[in-house]
Amino acid sequence: MTSISGPVVVLLTVLQWAGRGLPSPVRPICDPRVLDRFIMEARDTETALRGCKAGCGVTGTYVVPLTNVDFVVWETKDTEEQALEVQSGMSLFGQALGAVRESVSRVAVQILIDNNKSNIHSLGQVLRSLHIQDLPLPPAPAVGDLVTRKVSSLSELLHVHTNFLRGKVRLLLTNAPACQQNST
Amino acid sequence: MHNCVALSIVSQRQTVTKRDGENRRWELVAYQLCSTTERIGRFVLRGDKKMTNNNLNKLLAFCVLFCTQKTSIVHGAQALETKVSLLLHAEPENPKCFAEGMSDLTCFWEEDEERAGSADQYSFIYTYQNENSSECSVTALPAAGGKRLYFCRLSQTQLFVPLDIRVFRDDLLIHNRSLFIEVVFLLDPPANLTLTSTGTQGQLKASWLPPSLKYMGDSMMYEVSYAMAGSHIGKVEEVQASSELILRGLQSGTKYKVRIRVKLDGISYSGYWSAWTDPVLMETMPGDLDPLIVSLSLIISLVLTLLSLLVLMSHRRFLLKKIWPIIPTPESKFQGLFKVYDGDFQEWLGHSTGGLWLRPTYFYSEEFPAPLEVLSEVSLGPVLPSSALPPKASEALGEEEDEDKKLKRVDPALMEGWRETPQEHWPMDQLRAIHRHPAPWTQSSLLESHDAYVTLNAQNHSVEEPLDDILEETLPLQVLFASGRTSSESRSDLSSNVQQSSGSGRLSSQSSFEYPNHTWPSKGPGYTYMAVADSGVSMDYSPMSSNKIDDIGKGVIYTNEYKNEIPAHRRPIGSPIHFAF
Repeated sequence: MTSISGPVVVLLTVLQWAGRGLPSPVRPICDPRVLDRFIMEARDTETALRGCKAGCGVTGTYVVPLTNVDFVVWETKDTEEQALEVQSGMSLFGQALGAVRESVSRVAVQILIDNNKSNIHSLGQVLRSLHIQDLPLPPAPAVGDLVTRKVSSLSELLHVHTNFLRGKVRLLLTNAPACQQNST
Repeated sequence: MHNCVALSIVSQRQTVTKRDGENRRWELVAYQLCSTTERIGRFVLRGDKKMTNNNLNKLLAFCVLFCTQKTSIVHGAQALETKVSLLLHAEPENPKCFAEGMSDLTCFWEEDEERAGSADQYSFIYTYQNENSSECSVTALPAAGGKRLYFCRLSQTQLFVPLDIRVFRDDLLIHNRSLFIEVVFLLDPPANLTLTSTGTQGQLKASWLPPSLKYMGDSMMYEVSYAMAGSHIGKVEEVQASSELILRGLQSGTKYKVRIRVKLDGISYSGYWSAWTDPVLMETMPGDLDPLIVSLSLIISLVLTLLSLLVLMSHRRFLLKKIWPIIPTPESKFQGLFKVYDGDFQEWLGHSTGGLWLRPTYFYSEEFPAPLEVLSEVSLGPVLPSSALPPKASEALGEEEDEDKKLKRVDPALMEGWRETPQEHWPMDQLRAIHRHPAPWTQSSLLESHDAYVTLNAQNHSVEEPLDDILEETLPLQVLFASGRTSSESRSDLSSNVQQSSGSGRLSSQSSFEYPNHTWPSKGPGYTYMAVADSGVSMDYSPMSSNKIDDIGKGVIYTNEYKNEIPAHRRPIGSPIHFAF
């Protein structure tokens, strides 16, 4: 047995070295409770900052994606198109929240915004786990595009953010092909 | 046409779960059926003779289709009515809107019949965010309680985006509302609720078919209500994103009614609680003996049994005495009677040793053979020859073997005994005197107070003993010592008696009391007295054979048949005759 174990050990070691270099495949995160948690945190942030006086000191306009979902239309889109829509929307939200973070002065508000930003980043990881590769984002869409719109308050931004998560992001995640294979 | 419109609304609702093309087709079918039946009805009323067989066949086909679909349409209408009533209680805002599927929205509002206008007076305008407004056609339906309902149904909707609704009546805004469609879901109750047994006591498994809504399966929340049949108090359990639930803690052998309703969980989608399903009844498994109770009862019974055994063992002697008392046996007193002779007493007596003498005495411990007193008046007739006495004595003794010897032996013994004891023998002297002087009794005074008697002793001693036991009585000597003739007669009698039954002679009172020819002395109590002490033992006084006498013990027991017969004239006056044994 010692004669066989030698080459086997060498082979395993080589494979391990090779494996380190390659991007390790992330296990698909298909549990809807992950996204549900993000949604709830976004909602809580929205509720907490709704009563913020003077918009919590946030001024300016922010470009946000459209959140409306027509199932009939949605089902006509393929996964890639859906993923693109989700990813672009997420990036827009990231940018908007970043700009908001810089303009708020209250620490409590800052903490909440930071939390949401980290959730967006985590969602990106989740999407990546579902083999939804990062697609090259199209150039920043204009204000008049059908896929975006403008908001002028923090509460509305957060509200749209919540709706986006509940709608498109969730539909994409629950119907990801990777998750569909696991469930079936 | 109103009926056909209502049917079209209902038929549309049946297709919420189907594809759009199918939706359109079903709607068309329903409308066509309705219209066709109306037209056919008109044709029939007209009595159109042009109706051919083809038309009849088509009519028949339509009727069949209509009938098969009628049940589902009717069912849909009932569901709509239920939901309307639910929302009228649950939703305060107007118009009340609810979504049943993924791409529909039904809104309605209520108005009193009095103030209600026609449906075309109303306009329902809805606007999605960042979109243009659209209008929905309003339909009216009568409702209970003098009300009227106005409906508007959208068949294509957008979720996760605000929707503005405005209702106008004759260009007058009466209702205004902004809502998200994904939060006003009002689903149909789950279908196919079934109850099964899990195989465990006190459990039931409830399973159902979740509403078939895409993307919303994991957002569904169910509420299961279960209660004992006939009881209004029940329990409720919630379960999320599942199609079955095990009800625990139920009573065994009891019928339970279970019902369920569904609602979206509220994270991504939300809505109202659906209507309860029809209750389903099921009986739980019959109760079984609780193993704990069984084991405890076994242990207790075991402990009690052990305790009772201990008590019984400790008191077994006492209990044995009470239940099975020892029967006393005379075995200890009769050695060998039962073991050797098997209870044959006679045999045992026969084989017994010298101590045998004691036994009869033991039997008759209280009775001692008393001496036989033969008393007679001294003043009576000639004294019997002394030879007459021995036979009497021997007879009394009852010894067969030495009978003759005894006769002879007693004779001199008696004589000697009498000679020896003056007191004892003075009757003899008297007798001699009388013998010598056979004169009438004139000198009875001396003898009156004295008795001449013969004692019969049961002991096997010499006859002298009896003489010791002679009782002294002041009674005259008996006629036994009378004249020879008499004595000879008596003697012969006696001897004959003796010869007849050896050892068991007869004491003939007649012979005993055979008086001489003399008259009975009138003075004194001239009577013959024989003191016999009754031993008290019932003995056989019948003439016994010699064998028996031998068996008994050679005169130990004197068994004689005696006749207490005294001739009346000779019987002493007023005095009994006693025989002493």
